Amino acid sequence: MTAPLLQATGLTGGYGGMDILQGVDLSLEAHEVAVIIGPNGAGKSTAMKALIGLIPLKSGNVLYAGEDITGQAPERLVGRGIAYVPQERNVFRTMTVEENLAMGAYLRRGDLGETLARVYALFPTLKDKRRQRAGELSGGQRQMVAIARALMIEPKLLLLDEPTVGLSPKVIGEIFERILAINAGGVGILMVEQNARAALAIAHRGYVLATGRNRFTDNAAALLANREVAEAFLGG
Amino acid sequence: MIDWSGLLDFIGFYLIPGLVTGCIYALGAIGVSLLFGILRFAHFAHGDVMTLGGYLALTVVWWLGWPVLAAIPFAAAATALVAVGLDRAFYKPFRRRPTIISVIASFGVMLMLRSAIQLIWGVEPMQYKAGIEPPLVFFDELRVQPRHIWMVGVTAALVLALHILLTRTRIGRAMRAVSDEPDLARVTGISTERVILVTWLLGGALAAIAGIFLGMDTKIDSYMGWDMLLPVFAAAILGGIGSPMGAAAGGLVLGLIEELSTYNWIGDDSLVSPDYKLGIAFAIMVALLIWRPTGLLRGRQF
Repeated sequence: MTAPLLQATGLTGGYGGMDILQGVDLSLEAHEVAVIIGPNGAGKSTAMKALIGLIPLKSGNVLYAGEDITGQAPERLVGRGIAYVPQERNVFRTMTVEENLAMGAYLRRGDLGETLARVYALFPTLKDKRRQRAGELSGGQRQMVAIARALMIEPKLLLLDEPTVGLSPKVIGEIFERILAINAGGVGILMVEQNARAALAIAHRGYVLATGRNRFTDNAAALLANREVAEAFLGG
Repeated sequence: MIDWSGLLDFIGFYLIPGLVTGCIYALGAIGVSLLFGILRFAHFAHGDVMTLGGYLALTVVWWLGWPVLAAIPFAAAATALVAVGLDRAFYKPFRRRPTIISVIASFGVMLMLRSAIQLIWGVEPMQYKAGIEPPLVFFDELRVQPRHIWMVGVTAALVLALHILLTRTRIGRAMRAVSDEPDLARVTGISTERVILVTWLLGGALAAIAGIFLGMDTKIDSYMGWDMLLPVFAAAILGGIGSPMGAAAGGLVLGLIEELSTYNWIGDDSLVSPDYKLGIAFAIMVALLIWRPTGLLRGRQF
């Protein structure tokens, strides 16, 4: 049996002296979509930042395809095929859509044509807007630019931090649809989501975090069916 | 009936000096703006980096007997290296600290640079070349100094080159990305320190050229860069700080406004007495900070 794509054990740490994460375990198989849900302040975003190396861990370790990547700098992790889309400030606002995508491929050499064509096929709207500045786009389009930028490195693992926050239900559906398409193309996806029900509905497995710890870990369908989870975290 | 003689006077005594001043401001302001965009702090030692460039060129002119234009590449390169050295010694240690610490450090660097310059080259004003250069004459009456043509031409070429660098090259795009969103740039795989290095090289080189042009236009003096600091910052804010092309435009506009304000637009006297010329930069900066802190071209808020 091969090692999981991502296996994080006992993640502990946070900003400054505060340990927002107090021993979080996460794991993901290469073909899966996994969703992290939980109340505000549970450490969901912090866990994502810790995985991509933006904040240092006090303890715990991260294995990527069986290899220890704990404490590596974000620019190195990107080079190894881990892409990350932050929740906010996730596009280069003064750059055009096409320049944003080119930045996504910053570490790649050679022809980007094929990747670019695939990304545009996934997000046709962006092709029409490719000469427009990302800062001038709508929230949904900006989110698409952010995800498309992350795909330009041809990642094996995609980390998405609340990709649908502040978007209309219609656009949320569209984004989830694209996430499934990306996953079908062979990219493992770990995402944080506030729209917990909708996200669990498209996911293979789910994690419920609360106060920096795993409260529930199960496959997504089981979490949706779990009454305790439904009452406390899915709004009844 | 057009008053040709009056028009040529206007061009020769107001428009061209305005352009020249504008070019000097522009070259200084581009560096200030680039550095603010990438490092998020106001580099108050920038004027004295300009001064250093002026003196380094003077040394090349003295030692090798070259014309000052030939000394520009050497002085610019040396100043760029000094700028990187200043960063390593005085700014890099504070990179992860609140930026106000870097601002205060830049005050210290400013004083150190100026004192070092005064120790090495003295405090007496100096010139690149003694004597007066014969001007070129156009239309019988329009006298233009050849060095002014050079200065405007070189500045235009540099601004164009910078624009190409920022929009067409990998490192230039990386610079814009770091300026836009530093954290996102990191998770895109950009090495922030490399971008910072290139920013100091560019800012230092352009400041040196501004200082050399200033010395060519008037004289070389240990306070000349300090005197430029206010208009250079005003130009950077005018163009929207963090936007290098905006800073270039801001510098040009400011230089022109300053010179043209002394023209006798109404009646026979200067609209603004030449003695108050520098006050105009100050007035523009105050007005911008009150009413439009993002500058005319919608840059970052200063």
